[in-house]
Amino acid sequence: MKGNTAGKLEKILSSDGFAITAECGPPRGADAQVIRNKAQVLNGYVDAVNVTDNQTAIVRMSSIAACAHLMAMGLEPIMQMVTRDRNRIALQSDILGAYSLGIQNILCLSGDHQTFGSHPEALNVFDIDSMNLVRMVLDMREEGRDMSGFDLKKPPRMFIGAAANPFADPFEYRVIRLAKKIDAGADFIQTQCVYNMDRFKDWIRMAREEGLTEKVHILAGVTPLKSEGMARYMARRVAGMDVPEPLIKRMGGVPKKKAAEEGVKICLETIAEVREIKDVHGIHIMAIEWEEIVGEIVETAGLMPRPTLKS
Amino acid sequence: MIVGEQKSIEEIKKIVSPYKKVLILGCGTCVKTCFAGGEDEVAVLASALRLAFKKDGRQIEVEEFTVERQCEDEFVQESAEAIDRNESVLSLACGAGVQAIARRYEETPVLPGVNTTFLGVLEKHGLFTEECSGCGDCQLAVFGSVCPYTRCAKKLLNGPCGGSREGKCEVDPETDCAWNLIIHRLKMLGQLNNLRVYIPPKNWSGSGSCGPRKLIRKDHIL
Amino acid sequence: MEKQFKPKISVFHCINVFGDGEVLLPPERQDAAVEFIKLPCSSMIKDVFMLRAFEAGADAVMVMVCPEGACRYVEGNLRAKKRVGWVKNLLDEIGLDGRRLGLFNVPSEDAAVVGQIIEQTLSDLADLGPNPAA
Ligand code: SF4
Ligand code: SF4
Repeated sequence: MKGNTAGKLEKILSSDGFAITAECGPPRGADAQVIRNKAQVLNGYVDAVNVTDNQTAIVRMSSIAACAHLMAMGLEPIMQMVTRDRNRIALQSDILGAYSLGIQNILCLSGDHQTFGSHPEALNVFDIDSMNLVRMVLDMREEGRDMSGFDLKKPPRMFIGAAANPFADPFEYRVIRLAKKIDAGADFIQTQCVYNMDRFKDWIRMAREEGLTEKVHILAGVTPLKSEGMARYMARRVAGMDVPEPLIKRMGGVPKKKAAEEGVKICLETIAEVREIKDVHGIHIMAIEWEEIVGEIVETAGLMPRPTLKS
Repeated sequence: MIVGEQKSIEEIKKIVSPYKKVLILGCGTCVKTCFAGGEDEVAVLASALRLAFKKDGRQIEVEEFTVERQCEDEFVQESAEAIDRNESVLSLACGAGVQAIARRYEETPVLPGVNTTFLGVLEKHGLFTEECSGCGDCQLAVFGSVCPYTRCAKKLLNGPCGGSREGKCEVDPETDCAWNLIIHRLKMLGQLNNLRVYIPPKNWSGSGSCGPRKLIRKDHIL
Repeated sequence: MEKQFKPKISVFHCINVFGDGEVLLPPERQDAAVEFIKLPCSSMIKDVFMLRAFEAGADAVMVMVCPEGACRYVEGNLRAKKRVGWVKNLLDEIGLDGRRLGLFNVPSEDAAVVGQIIEQTLSDLADLGPNPAA
């Protein structure tokens, strides 16, 4: 969990700060202004921004290019990278290129399966898995070598993130998987959206018992719900999502006009609760196509102002 | 065994339509077991094609023949006369069988009547499941004899993705999550520690990604 | 001048349903040709038999089996049902119309029921017309 990278995210986390990251999805088109507009509403409220990599297997502007646009605006990106679309040659090449542009953080993922996206007839790659990707980035940073063992001139030094889903099955295995990701080289972990607080706390407790929480920075994922329909959809249709029934009921219990407000309220309660857990070092706000709410959430949660460390 | 599924009558009609005489050639091994291209399927397809062409008012002769194995030249030879009598062959073997026939009868168009799909297991009568991709470097020993390269939709080597739910795969809720099966098996074997082991990237050089593979048994070649 | 349509029907039946051709057509139906093919058990019906009957010129093919649960060989009639379903699809694919093929559960030795079913099929055939591949 010490990458000695030059980024702000690592600085905040390693100085016992509480980090805030948010998610920003690149557009289905080549207009840089779209990503700039999305980023602008986040500017100043978050410490780093995850830029997704063709999320849900839908073709979008590349993560690297969108990261570059963010940096030009003074935001620090976390480049998401999935192993679904690129083999080890392309992955490594893109990491070198990304670092040369100044990208300091990476989130290593295997990616949503292409059957869910815009190109279900595509051939997937999955040459390596997300665990292997973590290790690859670590080896580049610590050993200065690529996967073939070649000594890189100016190896990339990236702060390495991985995802964890405390809510997927089999539950006992979820902590083992976390341990493996840490061993492989993860510096920080961003979790799946927390709606089931009991299960999240159980997972954290198990991780603590294994001594894992001392080795990695865990950022709890949160997503404000907009409506009862969205809650139900996430519960039923989104793989790996756990939205307990009482929460769905609560969303349905308020007038439609007030539903979004209620969603934000739930989100704020979740944030308050995870801040009480000392092994959680930050939050990751995934306000899908609702980036403008992030500022309000951060402010109301009392998390302003953000540290102004120079990255 | 190799599992395949017969193409639709529609597609078959299209690919044989340039010819006046067609031999439907079955194979009595794998494709017979999966009801795609054994003697019975040859008979049904031949009959269906004759009816279809007759209905369309077309004069196409359809002959039937089945050999034991289309992927072995020794058996392929038995079809020589029948092939001679016809203008084209519609093979109901796997893709390898189709090519073996084409190799021996260079001047005869040999057409595929089956979509070859996977290497699988007959799970129960009428249900076939894919279990192996012939990667050339079998690692089943680590995975409790359940192949993640084949049975996990994301070829994950180091544990299940975040979408595994109640033992089913996020890509298809009708399919078992390979990792759920692996964990179950390792539990039964008392080898749960395997889960903690980091599995390095797979060496795919023995898989199909390096061009066609060959097996040479010097001790059997004279 | 259009030739008069003389329907031809092939009936595959299990010997446990009825024995040899005791089913007589009503006098007003003597213009139709009904051929009976008996099988030791309905499970012996093969896809290709049904198709060949059409190739031989049948306008409709009927498979008569024991009522469900009454098969002497337990599941012979269930297998027959699946096969008939499969061949029906095939007939639709060919453009011959799957309705030309039917499976009927018939109580043992009930000639009246058999007669009714044949009657019904003949009247269906009046709509379907002759086998287009005959
Ligand atoms: S590891 Fe390779 S050889 Fe073994 S079952 Fe899987 S694909 Fe087949
Ligand atoms: S649910 Fe299981 S089998 Fe499906 S992609 Fe995820 S790990 Fe693989």
